[in-house]
Amino acid sequence: MYWIKEIYIYRTMAASLIKRDIIGRYKGSILGFFWTFLNPLLQLIVYTIVFTQIMRMGIDDYYLFLFVVLIPWLFFSTCVSGGASCIWLNKDMVNKIYFPREILPFSFVTSNLVNMLLTMIVIFVVLFFSGKGFNIVALLYLPLIIVVEYILALGIVLLVSGITVYFRDMEYILSIITMAWQFLSPVLYDISMVPEDILFFFNLNPMTPILTAYRSILYYKQVPEVKTLLHATILGVILLFVGAFTFSRLKRHFAEEM
Amino acid sequence: MNDEYSIEVENVVKAFKVFRDRGKTLKEITLFKKRRSYEKRVVLNGIQFKVKKGEAVGLIGHNGCGKSTTLKLLTKIMYPDSGKINMKGRVSSLIELGAGFHPDMSGRDNIYINASIFGLTKKEIDDKYNDIVAFSELEEFITSPVRTYSSGMYMRLAFSVAINVDADILLIDEILAVGDIAFQEKCFKKLEEIKSRGTTIVIVSHSLNQIEKICDRTIWLHDGIVYKEGATKTVNQLYLDYMCNK
Repeated sequence: MYWIKEIYIYRTMAASLIKRDIIGRYKGSILGFFWTFLNPLLQLIVYTIVFTQIMRMGIDDYYLFLFVVLIPWLFFSTCVSGGASCIWLNKDMVNKIYFPREILPFSFVTSNLVNMLLTMIVIFVVLFFSGKGFNIVALLYLPLIIVVEYILALGIVLLVSGITVYFRDMEYILSIITMAWQFLSPVLYDISMVPEDILFFFNLNPMTPILTAYRSILYYKQVPEVKTLLHATILGVILLFVGAFTFSRLKRHFAEEM
Repeated sequence: MNDEYSIEVENVVKAFKVFRDRGKTLKEITLFKKRRSYEKRVVLNGIQFKVKKGEAVGLIGHNGCGKSTTLKLLTKIMYPDSGKINMKGRVSSLIELGAGFHPDMSGRDNIYINASIFGLTKKEIDDKYNDIVAFSELEEFITSPVRTYSSGMYMRLAFSVAINVDADILLIDEILAVGDIAFQEKCFKKLEEIKSRGTTIVIVSHSLNQIEKICDRTIWLHDGIVYKEGATKTVNQLYLDYMCNK
């Protein structure tokens, strides 16, 4: 885990890459930064219409039920599908100069985290004006679950970005996988609606406990169960180790492969 | 590691796979297995040299002899297949300039991004910012986006950043052809100054003149080994004779 120290040494580089990523992303588009808010908002509207008018779920305030996990989910899915190419897209830099390669996945995930935190402001505004309100004690657990999700996303991006350098199909395979992943995670429905006999497979999915915790804190206004938090943390840390280890093996030959 | 040396290269071997037709997508990997056959080409076959602290060394040799590969190994862009490389201190490389430049951002922002890639902190860049801008002679254009720069201006900016990083070891690959003659003169002066401050310099170049101007010692690479090494004048003359009689 020497790379964590190296990222600290190169912290200014990480910071400027994150800044470049956030500011550069919508440069030249008319609505600019508002796309960050508009994209999840439109998805929210479509899903809400489908699941309250057509396929009725019978859940109170379904839009809130969905919204509080849709934002964390979009953070995760953008990381997985977009993060795959974060080394490949910077191949000019990788081939030209030495810097800790981990910086690239790290700043990609972090800039997406910043995006999520900004959209979370919208969640709080909506929760406030809908009269739903907050549970302050439960909110104390929110930073914890955000950190766990961040660790998980970083682990997966380290894993897939390294593989994509050697195997370009990975990027396209992942965009299909994330779509399936969304429907197999408790985003549109609650984990309590999943039948007992397939619950085991749902629990292997690291996003299941994370989304459950988000929903518990923000929608049910309850402190998440310790079991859920532990479950999420263990899966997140395992994936970070797997990702970091794979990346450390693959990075030595990046410059030759690209 | 001996204190006297800032670069130690021991028995380094590096081979590349040369593919006839390399595919990286699923279709290409599964369907065209035969096309993926490759040859192994040994570029460096056990090179060995040391560079003293504060010394300036030139690497020469014909095209494809492994000069640039050696430099890439020294920067840790690539890793050797076997052998050891020891480098002491901060390394700055003028191998290819302008890493991480973003065309839509101003010269100023790009200085910060580019310098940070060399591992400088915000504070260090703040301290050097004025020197960098002054050296590039781009004061008037520093707030314009880099995409509006001419290629000469672009290179000048990139060069100014790289050369103002206070490195212990400076690696240079064939890039002293930046800007007009006046700017080149300025670059050489700057290099002399850096050298007198005790920075170790390694230069790869085909221009023996440039090497003679700066380097104390020359290493001649040939067929993946160190063929000759010694005082710049002597080795350069031998090399010149060899190339002319080839």
